[in-house]
Amino acid sequence: MTNAENKIATLDAEGISLKSVSLWQITWRRLFRRLSAVVGMIVLGVLIVIALTAQWLAPYDPIVPMMDLTPPEPVKARQDPCIHLFGCPRDQPQHIAGIDGNVRDQFSRLLYGARLSLMIGFSTVGFAIIIGTILGAVAGYLGGWADNVIMRFMDVLLAFPSLLLAIAIVTVLGPGLINALLAIGIVSIPAYARVVRASVLSVREMEYVSATRALGGSNIQILFRRILPNALTPLIVQGTLGIATAILDSAALSFLGLGAQPPTPEWGAMLGAERNQVFTAPHLVFLPGIAIALTVLSFNLLGDGLRDALDPRLAHVS
Amino acid sequence: MKRNLFALLSLLVLASMVLAACGGGAATEAPATEEPAPPPTEAPATEAPTEAPAMPEFEGKSLMAADCDSTGIIKGVEATGQYEVTFTLCQPDPAFLSKIAFSVYGIYPEEWLEATAGAEGRTSEGLEKPIGTGPYMVSEWNRGESITFTANPNYWGDAPAAETLVFRWSTESAARLLELQSGTVDAIDNVGPEDFETVSNDANLKLMERPALNTFYIAMTNTFAPFDNQAVRQAIAKGIDRQRIVDTFYPPGSEVASHFTPCAIPNACVGDPWYEFDPEAARAELAAAGFPDGFKTKLYYRDVVRGYLPQVSNVAQDIQAQLKENLNIDAEIVVMESGAFIEESSAGRLDGFYLLGWGADFPHVTNFLDYHFGAANPQFGNQSPTYTEILAQAAQIADVAEAAPLYEQANNAIREYVPMIPVAHGGSGTAWRADVTNPQASPLSNEVFYVSDPGGRDVFVWMQNAEPISLFCADETDGESLRACEQVVEALYSYEINGTAVEPALAESCEPNDTLDVWVCTLRQGVTFHDGTTFDANDVVATFTMGLDASSPLHKGNTNVFEYYDYLWGLMNKPQ
Amino acid sequence: MVQYLLRRVIASIPVLFGILIVTFIIARVIPGDPCRAILGEKATAEICERFIELHGLDRPIHEQLFIYMGEVLRGDFGESIRFSMPVTRLLIERLPTTVELSISALLVSLVIGIPLGIISAVKHNSYIDVITMVWANIGVSVPVFLLGLMLAYVFSLLLKDTPFWLPPSGRVSPGVPDDPFYEVWKLTVPESGFLPAFYQFISRLNILNALLTSNWELLKDSIKHLILPSLALGTIPMALIARMARSAMLDVLGQDYIRTARAKGLRQRVVVMKHAFRNALLPLVTIIGLSLGSLLGGAVLTETIFGLSGVGRTLFEAITARDYGIVQAFTVVIAVFFVIINLLVDLSYSYLDPRIRLE
Repeated sequence: MTNAENKIATLDAEGISLKSVSLWQITWRRLFRRLSAVVGMIVLGVLIVIALTAQWLAPYDPIVPMMDLTPPEPVKARQDPCIHLFGCPRDQPQHIAGIDGNVRDQFSRLLYGARLSLMIGFSTVGFAIIIGTILGAVAGYLGGWADNVIMRFMDVLLAFPSLLLAIAIVTVLGPGLINALLAIGIVSIPAYARVVRASVLSVREMEYVSATRALGGSNIQILFRRILPNALTPLIVQGTLGIATAILDSAALSFLGLGAQPPTPEWGAMLGAERNQVFTAPHLVFLPGIAIALTVLSFNLLGDGLRDALDPRLAHVS
Repeated sequence: MKRNLFALLSLLVLASMVLAACGGGAATEAPATEEPAPPPTEAPATEAPTEAPAMPEFEGKSLMAADCDSTGIIKGVEATGQYEVTFTLCQPDPAFLSKIAFSVYGIYPEEWLEATAGAEGRTSEGLEKPIGTGPYMVSEWNRGESITFTANPNYWGDAPAAETLVFRWSTESAARLLELQSGTVDAIDNVGPEDFETVSNDANLKLMERPALNTFYIAMTNTFAPFDNQAVRQAIAKGIDRQRIVDTFYPPGSEVASHFTPCAIPNACVGDPWYEFDPEAARAELAAAGFPDGFKTKLYYRDVVRGYLPQVSNVAQDIQAQLKENLNIDAEIVVMESGAFIEESSAGRLDGFYLLGWGADFPHVTNFLDYHFGAANPQFGNQSPTYTEILAQAAQIADVAEAAPLYEQANNAIREYVPMIPVAHGGSGTAWRADVTNPQASPLSNEVFYVSDPGGRDVFVWMQNAEPISLFCADETDGESLRACEQVVEALYSYEINGTAVEPALAESCEPNDTLDVWVCTLRQGVTFHDGTTFDANDVVATFTMGLDASSPLHKGNTNVFEYYDYLWGLMNKPQ
Repeated sequence: MVQYLLRRVIASIPVLFGILIVTFIIARVIPGDPCRAILGEKATAEICERFIELHGLDRPIHEQLFIYMGEVLRGDFGESIRFSMPVTRLLIERLPTTVELSISALLVSLVIGIPLGIISAVKHNSYIDVITMVWANIGVSVPVFLLGLMLAYVFSLLLKDTPFWLPPSGRVSPGVPDDPFYEVWKLTVPESGFLPAFYQFISRLNILNALLTSNWELLKDSIKHLILPSLALGTIPMALIARMARSAMLDVLGQDYIRTARAKGLRQRVVVMKHAFRNALLPLVTIIGLSLGSLLGGAVLTETIFGLSGVGRTLFEAITARDYGIVQAFTVVIAVFFVIINLLVDLSYSYLDPRIRLE
């Protein structure tokens, strides 16, 4: 349903004046009501800002090792964090998150990693949504043979645990970030296909669709202008939650050495590379891990908030 | 209607699958490891006729190749007495004793070899419960979990200190250290480079550093431009700060490589030491060779931890950074899968730099130099006759001092030609609980645990990197399997504990003739195998028949390739 | 009911077929040859030629596919190139580890997740609700491998000399007796066929075996080794289940018939458990089914960190080592498990909600 059809009247205290409010405005308002969603949005906002401005925020280069820097002695690999505010002596160079195994500043790498994680999340889900929508729409709208074949294929994809299937796909394509994204995208397609198919099915037989057809609308027109917008809501919710899963999966693949290749500063890769130093240099394991958890958390909170805000059953007009 | 059609189709699919199952092609690789072995018939060309019955008269068997064309180094192995074996070689081998002590050549009982030789490969009994003369016997292999050994009460040497020996494994160095610290294991292998300090500072633990008998090198395939230009290679050699790599990424006990072979090995470090790090000279020389702005290339490696390269990806990233910083060379990192990497690199097909290394099989300079710088090896592209010919000559000379000037020449020629850049000899270490006696860190990873008393406890638990693949080490190559076998099966000689010198084991001595192509070994008497049979010369012949003679029914193993028999000696009667 | 069951089973067949083909393709399309991966770096080209010939890897692809399908359907999964033993035997050895781990992780997630979800729903918007949801969200966001490392750090190192210490890896401490139940009961085991495989499989489920043979030492030891991995693996499903239980219960509690039940004067507990929960089960069962999937997949990471040789980790190593036999067989087994679980979930729908049966 488009905005034009969905303006809902609001009445003020006297029940007299009318103000039109669109669905989106209602959604925003309900979203802001929930504290957790607000927290999620703030964290996400901060991450987006970091991702966009990493090159100005980062004090050091994330890729080039700092081998011959500064007196009195060069920094050592895997050195603990040195924060001047918390008591680290002024004559030592400040490294908020410590130094990593290749003598690089971890804080800078974490900042650049934000950019990478967001890109990973958006691109995999974008890819999966596009392909999933096409498949789901075709299956739901045409029904019959096409529906059966496509859904069986989705079932086969779903029959494998997603991480294992992603591992297999990456092994076939070769390690690398792009291939990992492709693998995760492929593995995510069935969820979106199902969502779109379900909403296409639920709307297909409705009267306004047959009305449009009677008025001479083509199939594609019907699909895009009448039916698919119906799927938008569940897609948004699913997509937001899907970004969270995608970031986790990509971190898992990089942890196993199959995703981002060195020297790329991807959080999962950073964690995986240092996993055997968890006792001697815990900052190299926990900080990227916390970064992953925070990002995923914010998307989850946002997704939950969106789901509740967009849920018509909890509707109360305000 | 559509639904029925669909159901019909599904049933059709089901029917075709059933057909495939019942009709199905004959099994290709029949997993017939459970089939009992047919009694071995002696192939005419190789084995001597009579089957020795249990009579007081000793009938010695022998293994003899028809001629030196159908075999490698070993022409024949004969039992010239009940406790005497004669090895006849096709060429002099000064490294014979070093090689013969290698755990792959452990001696098995003749009857057991016959009984466990299945039709397609060794039976699972043979692969999992080897019979040998060693201080421990395999009691149980709980796959995926642990291997349990019990002490051999009739061992010919010193009685094992612990009644039970258990092998466990974990791929994560942090997990191994954790187990050691919590006291659930008594010793661990491959302490992580960052953990050396932790172990040294812990009063309850003891760190044993393993001498670095390995080499890590940066290879360049010189059939690809611009590596075909010797001046370019020399410039690059000067442009890598190898000391920085060793200082930053290697554990204590590692050293920068002055020559290709680690200096502990005789004749390894004769000749001029490697180029000093000199970035200005490197840049100048590179410019003079026609690349003032550097060039673009690739840096290949595999993400596999080895003693020569404990922190693979970190070192690779640092080399990439150094190439850019010092020489303005843009090397793109390409991580390859291990098998593919070895295949491509050993065939000389990698168009750029690649990172590889070598761990000593036996402590002789030929094990390092001849393999890598022999004329037949394409891994670096083209080899130079300035060293290949000298090496071939020197391999035949037994006396270290006599061979020294030749190796000096060879080392200098290699340094001049720069087929690769040797970087480091990587140290590693084992860690032990402080109350364990005789802690070991063998340079050849040859730890034998019967001499180590776990603080008075009955059970000694050892934790290594990975699970053995099988316990039939005649047909195994990986160190994790070899170490497990070493507790059970013994060879004619053995390496001394914590060292590389060889000492007599099942043989009391092996004497060569003047031309070093006939070796006569006098065997130890009064030794019994774990199954009670007596050890004598026929067991040695049977073992070498099993390993060397490709046409023998005994030549059955795990992979059936018998790689180490082939690579160090050369198989007999290989099918064409 | 039977008709529904039959229809669902028939619908699964093309999926199974697809699974077979996909696993075969994956195993064959993986680049790199198994020879060097298995024999190591010192294998020459000649040695590899013999290796390839010995294992039939040089036959045309369609021939390999046909042979493969026939073998799988006869229950013969071929041999592992690396271990030189029948893959079936490897399966029997490794599947129990994963099964035990998955079941205990699922139990952990159910036992903790469902009550928390119900309580949060009943005490909607109270402190308990908020805290539970925050914690559930965090649980879903933390990567499994990080959680595993942290748990090992806390319980194996920090709590080292306390009674709360837990072993950091493995399934059982060496030296603990683990005689299989068929030996203790002196059962006669036939040489071949399905029965010995079945017996072995059961005996390697350590906890079950310990219970069957009254071996309390083994029981205690196995449970101790199982706690940390189950916690690590079960956290994500736990959080998901708690959230789903809460939202499903909220949905149901808002219904009219609940109000009726309350108006009738029924006690809160009866209302919640007898009326509300049963109807909230439907979406919950879906999540449980899906969680089993994430358990099998997430098991790879947990098994790596805790040193367990289960199906997930073996499969991952086999993929890396190009061990086709294991890759094909294990993937098929996992996928078939899934299909069966989905089938069971579907069946439970029709049991829980009669309306679905009539579709």
